[in-house]
Amino acid sequence: MTTLRTPQSLGKAAITLVTGLVLAVLVVPIAVTFVSSFAQSATGVVPTGFVTAEHWRTALGLTDVGARRGIGSGLWFSVLLATGGMFVNLVVGVPIAYALTRYEFRGREWLNTLAVLPLVPGIILGIAFLRTYPDNAGTAFGLVVGYALLKSPYMVLTVQSAFQSMDLRRLEESARSLGASWPRTFVTVIVPNARGGILAGSIITWTLAAAEFNFTYMVYTRGPRPFSLFLYENISRAPFLQSAAAISIYFCLVVAAILVLQTVGRHGFTTT
Amino acid sequence: MSTTTWFELSAARDTLTPETERDRRRRRILVLCAPFLVLAAVAAFVPLATMIRMSVSADRFANVGFSVSAWRTLATDPLYRRVAVNTLWFAAATSAVSVTLGVAVSHAFAKYSLPFERVLVSVVSFPIALPGIVVAFMVVALLGRQGLVTNAVAFFSGQGPIDLATATTVTGLFVGYVYSLLPRATMVLRGTYAEVNTDAEQAARALGADPLRTFYYVTLPEIRPGIVAASLLTFRTALAIFGTVLVLQGLNVATLQISQVLSVGYESQIAASIGLVYFAFILAVTFVGLRYTEADVIRR
Repeated sequence: MTTLRTPQSLGKAAITLVTGLVLAVLVVPIAVTFVSSFAQSATGVVPTGFVTAEHWRTALGLTDVGARRGIGSGLWFSVLLATGGMFVNLVVGVPIAYALTRYEFRGREWLNTLAVLPLVPGIILGIAFLRTYPDNAGTAFGLVVGYALLKSPYMVLTVQSAFQSMDLRRLEESARSLGASWPRTFVTVIVPNARGGILAGSIITWTLAAAEFNFTYMVYTRGPRPFSLFLYENISRAPFLQSAAAISIYFCLVVAAILVLQTVGRHGFTTT
Repeated sequence: MSTTTWFELSAARDTLTPETERDRRRRRILVLCAPFLVLAAVAAFVPLATMIRMSVSADRFANVGFSVSAWRTLATDPLYRRVAVNTLWFAAATSAVSVTLGVAVSHAFAKYSLPFERVLVSVVSFPIALPGIVVAFMVVALLGRQGLVTNAVAFFSGQGPIDLATATTVTGLFVGYVYSLLPRATMVLRGTYAEVNTDAEQAARALGADPLRTFYYVTLPEIRPGIVAASLLTFRTALAIFGTVLVLQGLNVATLQISQVLSVGYESQIAASIGLVYFAFILAVTFVGLRYTEADVIRR
């Protein structure tokens, strides 16, 4: 019996070990960052001097530490930008997800590829925006439009997977046979039935837009500083513990997003 | 793209005054797709067309005149050949490692009863939400001068942490790429594993095949579409990574080179032409990849 069992348990042990290591590499830096943000000193193997809220207060802009700026109004600016991008994505993404799932038409495959794959990297879109909209690329308008395009695949994918699990034809036909017009059917029957997917898509696009860096870095020139640039300034210049606190603000946002996603039946931060 | 737009336009002509159910259906499809097409035109087609013009502009700050010097530089300067080689091998290697590890992780999720599985799935998906600059900081937190691994090794070996820090080397960058890519690969493969026919695996085991042979001959062919899809996704994602490289440096890849030619001397023509080559390459990889996998799998 032992000769039979050995290879099995050996393989299983190896895979479990790899999985454990992978999970550790993914989690440990997140945990270290979050825990460090409450420490007073980061010299030595582990941070020491718990618990202090000093770095959090600086990151949130509650104390005035000379030239080092806290997030201040930038956080609210990014919240507005992400919300704007999310609304554009709702208007753009939900209808096309329905068209692509419900109807067969010429050019459907092409349109589908265009809608669900992020084809233009943010940094390249940024360069293109700078020349195309020289006066507006770095304004709230330019940022919202850019975020909407960059994150739209996540909305379309998530809503599409919700539509795919529904019997759209039957839903549509029942509502129509009861006398509802097609627009009314779409707004009052189809959309409410996919609300789980739509909510999930909104949360994912919002969270990703709130910390979008590549595009923002390229087009930003002046005005309120978006959240991701605040993070970049911390990561590239601030002391370790200070950056840890700044990044932990975003961790809190992601954890909140994942918790809400779980209430609509999704496992983790993913579009499937 | 152009076929789609043409189709939508010609459909629009017929559907302004619909008389048949077929025309009404066309109008619905048009109305449903219109917002997306407007966004795509404003935020993608027009900017990309402008970028083509930008790459052959004679002036750095405005689209005037005509000059192919940027393209000539790109084609002849050995620097850009090196950048291209760096970009490709690094994206390919990090994708391969991420997908391999992703297979192991999703295998464990699917076959073994792990404790707190739902929490673990959330943990694996967490880095998908992190922008590249934050991923860079995760590498610094592990392998930087004040990093946990660096200081632990320094403590046990007696060497100085500054000599041991690898965050800003190719190794650190490699870890950063895998940190971004592995969760994406795992999430795709998890979907594929959910559809694996476990009866065939059990039959193979019952007939005396050991687990390794069962995996190789039964499971692997079944998850192959997922592996292709995950490889394509991670390769495309790796090509677009910028924030991580900007912070860690380590290797001169195309995205870093684009930002360097812009910050030093604002050589916008060169930036635009690299951007176009890049975009064309990503597009080509995507469509070649789509031929080798079911369109349905790629959507994940």
